[in-house]
Amino acid sequence: MELIERYLQAVGFWLPKAQKQDILAELSEDIRSQVEDKESELARKLTDAEVENILKRRGSPITVANRYLPQRNLIGPVLYPIYRLVLKMAFLFYAIPWLVVWLCISSYLPSYHAKTVGDFIAGTLHGLWLAILYTFASVTFAFGLLEKYALKSGFLEKWNPAKLPPLRAANRIKHANSIGEIVAFAVALIWWINFMLSPVMLNRPDIRIVLAPGWRYYSWWIVVLIAVTMATSVLNLLRPYWTHFRAGVRLVTDVVGWGMFAWLCKANIVAEIAVRNVPPEKTLQVANAINFWMGRSFPFIVAIGIVIATIDIYRIFHVKTGTRPPLCGLASICGMSTNF
Amino acid sequence: MKTSTKTDESSALYENLRLELRRGCLIVAVLAQLKTERYGYTLRRALAEDGLEIDESTLYPLLRRLETQGLLVSEWREEEKRNKRFYKLSPEGKRILKQLLEEWRSINASLEQILREE
Repeated sequence: MELIERYLQAVGFWLPKAQKQDILAELSEDIRSQVEDKESELARKLTDAEVENILKRRGSPITVANRYLPQRNLIGPVLYPIYRLVLKMAFLFYAIPWLVVWLCISSYLPSYHAKTVGDFIAGTLHGLWLAILYTFASVTFAFGLLEKYALKSGFLEKWNPAKLPPLRAANRIKHANSIGEIVAFAVALIWWINFMLSPVMLNRPDIRIVLAPGWRYYSWWIVVLIAVTMATSVLNLLRPYWTHFRAGVRLVTDVVGWGMFAWLCKANIVAEIAVRNVPPEKTLQVANAINFWMGRSFPFIVAIGIVIATIDIYRIFHVKTGTRPPLCGLASICGMSTNF
Repeated sequence: MKTSTKTDESSALYENLRLELRRGCLIVAVLAQLKTERYGYTLRRALAEDGLEIDESTLYPLLRRLETQGLLVSEWREEEKRNKRFYKLSPEGKRILKQLLEEWRSINASLEQILREE
């Protein structure tokens, strides 16, 4: 009956969050009643192919979900949920990155500096408005064409229940993510221990880079931080489900790590650069420029840190509210065991 | 080619009109069946046994709509070790059903009369 769970999961993807559990519970009950009826009629369990056939007759997940959604007319009702999803993705991956890039360009490139704050805000809003308008218009136009021509081919009916995506388990951590983290942290740890523990970062005959004296207090904390984060990743690999404890540890390490990084940006960390055959005034200029640009990147580091911390907090909340896979919760609403 | 397009248009028009006619009848049928409390699957079967097939993706959204409009009340309850959502007519639903049936009988009588005259 895993196929039914996968079907319900696919239907649920298109449903509004507030009604999702309720609708899926009722739909699940209806499908199972139909399966039971068929089984009593045939006096045997249904084969996978027969269950597939029942689901196929009910319609593709998006068609079924669509019946529960309010009918809108900008794009025909059948494609509307996909249209809404694509529009959201387009804003997320085009309009928001556009805004970030625009803010970076206008902060760092003198030719883009606005004369007044008002000009800057007006320029940003104008550009953002155009980006949103183009995104909206192109997505709507593409869906208009799809609605007019592609829908007639009946592509929504040509779906195969056996190809539904596998069940997602809530709080599951992908092995690939944990392995990636372990490798990255191991490399970072080795590099840090070899090059960054001493304030004299580089000491060759031709080049010497010295960091500010405060560095020595800072650098060991970084080692501890990387080690703790790496230990969490190892634990995540062995037991690949987020728990409150591990999600909490990840929040603390991320907040401390990005906090330290932000402090580093403001700390004028490069004390001295000496390069053979380069006059000291020049190397001093380079050191000052590095410290200056690190200081300028402070707001972005803080912004990235806030985004990461928000994701971590969301994860803690998610662990609290959904420790079981979502459809196990659904199954319990329906009074069934999960291996039904 | 032209004839086939015309046939397609005609059958699409018939299908639209049929659905329109059926939509109103389904509401009355569902309300009438829910004088007795039932859950979705048994309601669907009862309707089918009386000759009115309705697919689940039409029935459940309809039940939700009727409940939102205050014509039905529902309750999740365990039966045969499974939780099921039982629906029945609300007092308001009973009142509206009575009015709808009166209207239905009146339309039906008029239609019979018109068809007899033909």
